[in-house]
Amino acid sequence: MAEKLLEIKNLKQHFNVGRPNMVKAVDGISFDIYKGETLGLVGESGCGKSTTGRTIIRLYDATDGQVIFDGENVHGKKSAKALKAFNRKMQMIFQDPYASLNPRMTVADIIAEGIDIHGLAKTKKARMERVYELLETVGLNKEHANRYPHEFSGGQRQRIGIARALAVDPDFIIADEPISALDVSIQAQVVNLMKKLQREKGLTYLFIAHDLSMVKYISDRIGVMYFGKLVELAPADDLYNNPIHPYTQSLLSAIPLPDPESERTRQRRAYDPASHQYADNESLEMREITPGHFVYCSEKEFKEYQQQYTK
Amino acid sequence: MEKVLEVKDLKVSFQTYGGTVQAVRGVSFDLHKGETLAIVGESGSGKSVTSQTLMKLIPMPPGKITGGQILFNGEDLVPKSDKEMESIRGKEISMIFQDPMTSLNPTMKVGNQIMEGLIKHQKVSKADAKKRAIELLKLVGIPMPESRVNQYPHEFSGGMRQRAMIAIALAASPKLLIADEPTTALDVTIQAQILELMKGLQDKLDTSIIFITHDLGVVANVADRVAVMYAGQIVEIGTVDEIFYDPKHPYTWGLLASMPSLENDGNDELAAIPGTPPDLTNPPVGDAFAPRNKYALAIDYEEEPPMFQVSETHFAKTWLLHPDAPNVEPPDAVKQRIRKMSSNFDKPVLVKEGK
Repeated sequence: MAEKLLEIKNLKQHFNVGRPNMVKAVDGISFDIYKGETLGLVGESGCGKSTTGRTIIRLYDATDGQVIFDGENVHGKKSAKALKAFNRKMQMIFQDPYASLNPRMTVADIIAEGIDIHGLAKTKKARMERVYELLETVGLNKEHANRYPHEFSGGQRQRIGIARALAVDPDFIIADEPISALDVSIQAQVVNLMKKLQREKGLTYLFIAHDLSMVKYISDRIGVMYFGKLVELAPADDLYNNPIHPYTQSLLSAIPLPDPESERTRQRRAYDPASHQYADNESLEMREITPGHFVYCSEKEFKEYQQQYTK
Repeated sequence: MEKVLEVKDLKVSFQTYGGTVQAVRGVSFDLHKGETLAIVGESGSGKSVTSQTLMKLIPMPPGKITGGQILFNGEDLVPKSDKEMESIRGKEISMIFQDPMTSLNPTMKVGNQIMEGLIKHQKVSKADAKKRAIELLKLVGIPMPESRVNQYPHEFSGGMRQRAMIAIALAASPKLLIADEPTTALDVTIQAQILELMKGLQDKLDTSIIFITHDLGVVANVADRVAVMYAGQIVEIGTVDEIFYDPKHPYTWGLLASMPSLENDGNDELAAIPGTPPDLTNPPVGDAFAPRNKYALAIDYEEEPPMFQVSETHFAKTWLLHPDAPNVEPPDAVKQRIRKMSSNFDKPVLVKEGK
């Protein structure tokens, strides 16, 4: 197996700690991300998938747990210099291409902001050349550099957001619902671009989304989150063909497919968290049912799932 | 079957600083009783403007209906005054909006918002209206309707707000329900519940539904017929099977091919439609889709294609169906879907006018 780029160990992110309205947005999740892969993270709104992404990149300080990137703890104490070096390696693409670009900056300045901060361009000319090169990489052209974000369509803005993330040559990109705000025909353009960049630059992605068919298409492995917990983690095909956790099954049964015939016979399955009937003293954890396929379950369920799987 | 709605060559434009935007450029379709017509297309294709025009909800000015007819139960809605429309809106035609967070009144109890339409249109007493509101909340699957009726929208979750919206829309048992992306803001599991609810209610009440969405999965789930809109025009219309299993227009091909199917293993690239939709201040000469269409013929840049009829119910607006057009192969992702339609005519027939 490829080497680990990122290890997340028992990560917790709680808000309003110690107050009655405490929210356990992320409640002890662990997974690894390998170099060059795309890990998809899916779940309903409020399940903590975006918070996970934001905590990994240190937009939030984790309540507990570790994020180890390239052998170093992201949330450890860092000198300003070390933090800056880290920020260069990890970048983010945001969901809303309208809100995530500063409307008062030109596209060139937006893209070059990271280049300036990290001092990656020696001269003004080199800076602009890098901007032009990035615009070309994401399928825009030179003339766009001096325009403002409002002059672009949603798909084009998302391309600018991608160019900005690429400007500092990161190893790892967190894409938080990068296509949810775009039209179907434009979604495919952006996804194709992201895949192409991954091939060319060897990028690693954490792809957060709720559109399961797109996630399946872009991801190598997929994690399913439910109420702050990771309930299932498996290779993309395996997850779709053999969903094990009842929540994953319910989620998959709810996606409408563009095929009228299968829609007419669709059977939706509801998920009831009470159906597990966990006893108080049962220890719940991620257990490996088959190699690479993890499910959050109790010891008893683990045996049942394994039996089901071998059938 | 009884026709509830007939839209004939509807044209809508908006006056803006940048010039006149021709948002809807000659749309014709009809809708039968108890039927669901899905309208699909990307943002800016005119699908929302079309549906809002049906209820005359577009701001006039700057909006203007520059031509065409909207025959609802045989009566033309276009010349009707605002006052006359009031007795139709909510009673005969009602609408479910995309965003349940912003389209409910936050300062009014949910029950009162449902009762509003009842009291106005059905002349019932307040007490009776409240009883009916509780029944409606029960109908749309809200638990404990007796206490929910006295709550405010912020006390409802997103899915429940959308259910409340549906209750408001159904209060006066309308003949036509327009749902403008009713599930786009919801999670898949909630979306599935709302779609089931709408289908169940349609069976019970025999309402006709116009369902606007850009999610082809949802279309396959709810629609009887599908209209595909591009740049203010319907480019293809047919039964749901005809659109998904025998699409004729290259734009429909593009839409179907750009969606990953769950069987797609991610090795082949998605067939994205290149470019962006045209600016409708100056609609292009000829076929508006031509610049993004790799199947475009020379004539597409000169003359707008006419409607061709493929079967009794299937129409497509593309020169590719002309007898002189070269035979083209749709993209692979579409070819896998194609089935032989027994109802197709031997040859596509040119439609002279109107439809």
